[in-house]
Amino acid sequence: MDKTIRIEVLFPEIANLYGDLENISYLKKSCPEIEVAETHLVGEPCFMEKTPDLIYMGTLTERGQRLAVEKLAQYKAKIVEMIEAGVHFLVTGNALEVFGGKITDTNGSEDCGLEIFPIHAKRDMMKRFNSLYLAKFVDGETAMDIVGYKSQFTHSYWDGEAGEGVFDTVRGPGLNPEITKEGVRRNNFLGTYVIGPVLVLNPPFAKWLLKEIGAGDVELAFEKEAMEAYEARVKEYSDENTGFYY
Amino acid sequence: MEILRYYIALWAAKLSIVALKITKHNGTNFPGVLALKICPRFLKYAAKPEKIIAVTGTNGKTTTSNMLLDMLTMDGHNVLNNKMGSNINSGIASSLIYGSTIFGKCKHKVGLFEIDERSAVRVFPYMKPDYMLITNLSRDSIMRNGHPEYIGDILTKYIPKETKLVVNADCLISCGIAPENERVYFGIEEMEGDIKECINLINDIQICPDCHNKLEYEYLRYNHIGKAYCPVCGFKAPEYDYAGVNVNVADMTIDVKDAEGTGHYKLLNESVFNIYNVVSAVALLRQMGYSHEKIESFFEKLNIVGSRLHEEKIGDKTLIKLLAKEKNAFATSRVFDYISTLPGDKEIILMNSCQGDMKHWSENTCWLYDCDFEFLNQDCIKNIVLCGPRRLDHKLRLLLAGVPEEKLSYSEKEIDAPDQLKLFENDNVYVLYGTDSIGLGNRVAAKVRELMKGGRD
Repeated sequence: MDKTIRIEVLFPEIANLYGDLENISYLKKSCPEIEVAETHLVGEPCFMEKTPDLIYMGTLTERGQRLAVEKLAQYKAKIVEMIEAGVHFLVTGNALEVFGGKITDTNGSEDCGLEIFPIHAKRDMMKRFNSLYLAKFVDGETAMDIVGYKSQFTHSYWDGEAGEGVFDTVRGPGLNPEITKEGVRRNNFLGTYVIGPVLVLNPPFAKWLLKEIGAGDVELAFEKEAMEAYEARVKEYSDENTGFYY
Repeated sequence: MEILRYYIALWAAKLSIVALKITKHNGTNFPGVLALKICPRFLKYAAKPEKIIAVTGTNGKTTTSNMLLDMLTMDGHNVLNNKMGSNINSGIASSLIYGSTIFGKCKHKVGLFEIDERSAVRVFPYMKPDYMLITNLSRDSIMRNGHPEYIGDILTKYIPKETKLVVNADCLISCGIAPENERVYFGIEEMEGDIKECINLINDIQICPDCHNKLEYEYLRYNHIGKAYCPVCGFKAPEYDYAGVNVNVADMTIDVKDAEGTGHYKLLNESVFNIYNVVSAVALLRQMGYSHEKIESFFEKLNIVGSRLHEEKIGDKTLIKLLAKEKNAFATSRVFDYISTLPGDKEIILMNSCQGDMKHWSENTCWLYDCDFEFLNQDCIKNIVLCGPRRLDHKLRLLLAGVPEEKLSYSEKEIDAPDQLKLFENDNVYVLYGTDSIGLGNRVAAKVRELMKGGRD
């Protein structure tokens, strides 16, 4: 690794549900030289001073989503600029919705996202959607299986024609149950509903991401054990006898 | 017309009780399930006791309900309760059916119900508790409960406005529930072992509800449980109406102080978790008008509950069975923390795979990364036996928590896990099982017991 890799975690004080922060802890344990900076609700985001190699945001409560949008709205132009410039983002769980458009609740209320991507979400707080998840991730020559979970009150829908997704779903829902493309991808922005934590459950994906952000070909922390768990899970989820919905 | 359905439902459910007795299937929810099937709004019409107490919260509601039931029974009340059934609407319905005459008249003056937080939606439109004790709110099953803020919102929406709340002031999430309801607060003042900064992975309320700056704590027990304040805007957690003071773990006593005096109470278990249960029970009974002297006398007669009941000395070794709720990172972290602080060298059989999920799909293991497995990285823990379908996930999690690989051993099936124990001199063996593996946990413990008694060939 020729340079110091910097990862910025957005709002860990509210975007920390379902073990998601381990995504970044796992990268740090795998590559201790990585510098991790935290941006909080109070104060200016680190990315305004120096562009990091990866920006991460994890799952939030619905109130947390509102606070994140409120805070990031003033930095929208910079965020768009970074996405267009190819800065890497990994956004997991419902944090994806922060970067989309309206979130409409069945109770009639409505929240607004940053409106960076042409998607909108439908939320039903009395119907929690739970499933396992199995997909393919393809990026140029790289192809791998992806496993994980969905556990959410919402699904997102493209406004008009579907854009690029992150994963090609094999089993489970895509961005919503009607499509197989999962998540939202633009350049190096990867937004996915898949939780797990997704990098811990998918060591090949964690290795790919580390390479992408300039850390090189890193041996992951406990890579052998992580691969054993991953391979067992891919096999289990590929078995059509494994029930997929909770 | 609906009232007719109610009577048909009541009589059918009553008949089912007779059938269940004949077939020796007492204590199930079936009568309630049947009644709700016939009359979905059965709870609306079912006769209820004159005074109703509800206990809810993520953790401690069963233990606290059981304590309260024992104490109210000691006071001569024939308390209608759902101890034998479930804490959801069908369990409540079953209790009301058992507690009513064939003509639908309630036979009990007092009712005490443990109520699952999410069931508030289906229970409270038809039942108005006089008092509701809220023990705490924290993360629970990801699939079912989402996050505690969501559960808090459900309770706020459905708790009847006339219900008086008895709330844990040391849980800011609970403090925010049903803000318009009349309430009193309980809590525990600073005690030995308190900290100032959260060391747990789960901390569900880190920011000031008013200004969003980082909250600080005068004292903190675990996760977000402690006395919070905002150093920027001056926000403070509520003052206690019932304050636990002078906690003495050596003597197993605590004082509970309120505006009218102080009571001196026996602790039933040394864990902070259970000390809160005692203070909450005292607070509720004080609200109901019991004197400190009377409640003290109840506590003197209460049997010791909790982990100690499951502790068994076999020769120079000790076998301890402990419930570590599967898929509940908060509760399991409390168990790991508790074990790590107990004296002696230990071995652990970790039966944390969810047996129920295994049958229908595959467990969502996100909770492993909310759970403080780091507490198990202790010199005194010599061997952890990983078993069941998720053992590879547990292995990776423990390694990431810093537990050396040489301390891990493996068994595919839970029942074979005892064979991996080292059973050294003065060993303390902990069998950690989930709510859906109590039977299996007992069988595994029985095998450990045999090995301890007979040694190995």
